[in-house]
Amino acid sequence: MKTDSLKLRRVLAITSVIFLFALAISPAKNYFREYRSIQEHFRKLGTSRARSLKEAQAYQNHPVAINQIWMRDFDNRVDRCTTCHQGVSDATMAKAPEPHRQHPSTAHTPSDIERMGCTSCHNGEGLATVRADAHGTTADSASPLTPLVNIEAGCGRCHTTDVVPQAALLSRGRALITKAGCYACHSVRGHEQFRSEAPPLNSIAVKTGGEWVRQWLKDPRAMDPNSTMPNFQLEPQQIEELANYLFSRPVKLELAAAIAAASAEAPGDAVNGKKVFSESRCISCHTVEGKGNGSAPELSKVASMASRGWLLAFIRDPHAFSPETRMPRYHFSDSESRDLVAYFESEFKDFGAPEGILNPLHVNQTLAEKGAKAFRSLGCFSCHDPGQGTIKEKFGPDLNGLGDKRAASLDFGRRIDLNRTLAAWTTAKLSDPRSFSAGLKMPTYGFKGDDTRAIVTALLSLGSQPVPEAFHPSPGGTPTPIPGGAIGKLVQQYRCLSCHQIGTQGGDISTAPLTFEGSKVKRDWLVNYLMVSFTIRPILEERMPIFRIPRDEAEKLADAMTSFYVNPAIPEDPFAGRPASDQNAAEGQRLFVSNGCRACHIVGASGGYYGPPLTDASSRLKPGWTFKWLKGPQAWRADVRCPNYGFTDTDALRLTAYLETLRATSAQKPSGGKK
Amino acid sequence: MKRSFMMAMALISMAGCSKKAREAPPAAVAAEAAPLSYELRLGRETYRHYCMICHGEGGAGDGFNAFNLDPHPRDYSDPAFQKKKTDAELADAIRRGGAGVGLSALMPPWGHTLSDAQISQVVLYIRTLEHKPE
Repeated sequence: MKTDSLKLRRVLAITSVIFLFALAISPAKNYFREYRSIQEHFRKLGTSRARSLKEAQAYQNHPVAINQIWMRDFDNRVDRCTTCHQGVSDATMAKAPEPHRQHPSTAHTPSDIERMGCTSCHNGEGLATVRADAHGTTADSASPLTPLVNIEAGCGRCHTTDVVPQAALLSRGRALITKAGCYACHSVRGHEQFRSEAPPLNSIAVKTGGEWVRQWLKDPRAMDPNSTMPNFQLEPQQIEELANYLFSRPVKLELAAAIAAASAEAPGDAVNGKKVFSESRCISCHTVEGKGNGSAPELSKVASMASRGWLLAFIRDPHAFSPETRMPRYHFSDSESRDLVAYFESEFKDFGAPEGILNPLHVNQTLAEKGAKAFRSLGCFSCHDPGQGTIKEKFGPDLNGLGDKRAASLDFGRRIDLNRTLAAWTTAKLSDPRSFSAGLKMPTYGFKGDDTRAIVTALLSLGSQPVPEAFHPSPGGTPTPIPGGAIGKLVQQYRCLSCHQIGTQGGDISTAPLTFEGSKVKRDWLVNYLMVSFTIRPILEERMPIFRIPRDEAEKLADAMTSFYVNPAIPEDPFAGRPASDQNAAEGQRLFVSNGCRACHIVGASGGYYGPPLTDASSRLKPGWTFKWLKGPQAWRADVRCPNYGFTDTDALRLTAYLETLRATSAQKPSGGKK
Repeated sequence: MKRSFMMAMALISMAGCSKKAREAPPAAVAAEAAPLSYELRLGRETYRHYCMICHGEGGAGDGFNAFNLDPHPRDYSDPAFQKKKTDAELADAIRRGGAGVGLSALMPPWGHTLSDAQISQVVLYIRTLEHKPE
């Protein structure tokens, strides 16, 4: 009896000890969690860095706890990153070692940390409190941390516009994606309307020769370094099939007629052609031996690329050949365009090209039929729509949600050399897409280092879901309508939007947005400028071409500008209702000198080359605009270099009054071209 | 109560675990080597946009517009200059311009155009332009 009771007591003792241990496991695990030692370290570091006893005590009394940011507007996300990264908004922790370091100041830090949390920019698993889980360092992590080199991908989650201020890498990536035409094969939210600028291939048989097409298909960039067409790494057999197919395609009747008529014309005068070429400033878009803007084809071998008749017909009406082209239709006379082509034929030739590079190819029907199939299976139709029916589905995979893909879900194929991360996979896909396995269709673009990093950043910004409404940035501007009718036709003909911006639309070649052009420049100046556009900014290499716009068209355009493209905030007469002393031009001149305006602006014989010369300012600028500009240039275009001097109204008006006195003598008037 | 319990537990497993618990906090996850930090990238962007045209890409005062300016812009790549000026002095000259700090008015004041954060990023970037002797 006694031994039994003793036994029972022992069992009871042992089980209670075991039970105690079992009970203790969970709190013990919690006690040894990594974040506790990190917080302990933070406390010590803070105490040692504190600049006052009070501050040191505050660090000392900091309780050990899990910290979190609750983003009510962002799907009720919870970010516990600040549990370890306690110093993110603590100036004492500037340049401290990680994880304690203060967050660098950006557009959203420290101001928006409470609203936006951490994972909305950095990705990662906000709820986790263990490092590996929070940072998502495992291959099957649902949300790995975005590598710091691509951190601007985070900006792109909310900022879906092409240009994102303070995110140069992201903006560059998005621009490269547009330029490379990725949206033609891949769908991305917001780019459903994208149309490739690639020519529609509707006149190949009368444009060029069989040998040229073969060489082009082999390596487009070798033929034209400005080309955006990638290398499809085609086999010689495929090249032959595709070339035969392209030559078998019927030529549009009206194009064939125009080309035939043009090739029958008498040859032009190459000497005058050269003059027309330089006056027209073709290299504001094209290049000649690499000199020029490079957004349009290299021209130094153009006469070995296309027949004389095609060149002539194309220059006269590029839009009939290629409706999407950015090339304007110049107002050349028949003889001027003939002279231009004569100039091309005398100088812009590939003198090393094989004999007969422009000889037509005699089509083999069997090869052509195979070529037709290859044209479809390679996805050529995505960019070169030859009118084979409408494209219902994009050729390549949907890229929406790429930034949220788990590394474990990606096919690394043969690339066992890569880190199993989304960024490494995307980088390799861009630089060598065919290296993953045989039979992949994405062509090689040959993106290099920085460009790849920029594009990867832009691709990682593509989330599977759009961010909640509360996080949509306020739109940068409202689209300004482009007038229709006769004016719309002129804007189309001269392709104003290839270079200029109107509202949120337009290209990036010109530095002069036209959105408020009517409030900015005087009508008569504009008429003259449209007819003979001289250089407003001597530093710029891309200059407005002289389109040979006839006076009646220039007047129509100028009138449209002065009536549509105005801003009600810009007064016609800024001096109205102001004291007469505000019109003191002599005082304005003194301000012009004392503020160093001549560092950038030429007046008379001296001054810098950076801003527009102001010698003839009063012929060009409306005083209301000048005044508003001086009050804050960045209000009119965010990236304007002219600094805001913080002028008072009086000083800005006096400067305006001074600029109003600047009028060029006839000898100083810019001149160029005739008419 | 909870506290003493924890203490007991800590004592029990001290031998095994105390080392781990005292380990220094881990260094940041090794990120891909960034060529420039985000702050420096912002600084470089701002520098290239607003400053480079006079001060030159490498800060040597040899930008395109420099030859129009008398006096010429300063050579930042000069280690002696870098040593002489504090960050605060550089930021002040950017903010108030040449005229503001008793130098040439041809250097405009940027305080109304750039934010304080942008200015300190530019200063940070200018510091990287110092010419390091081989």
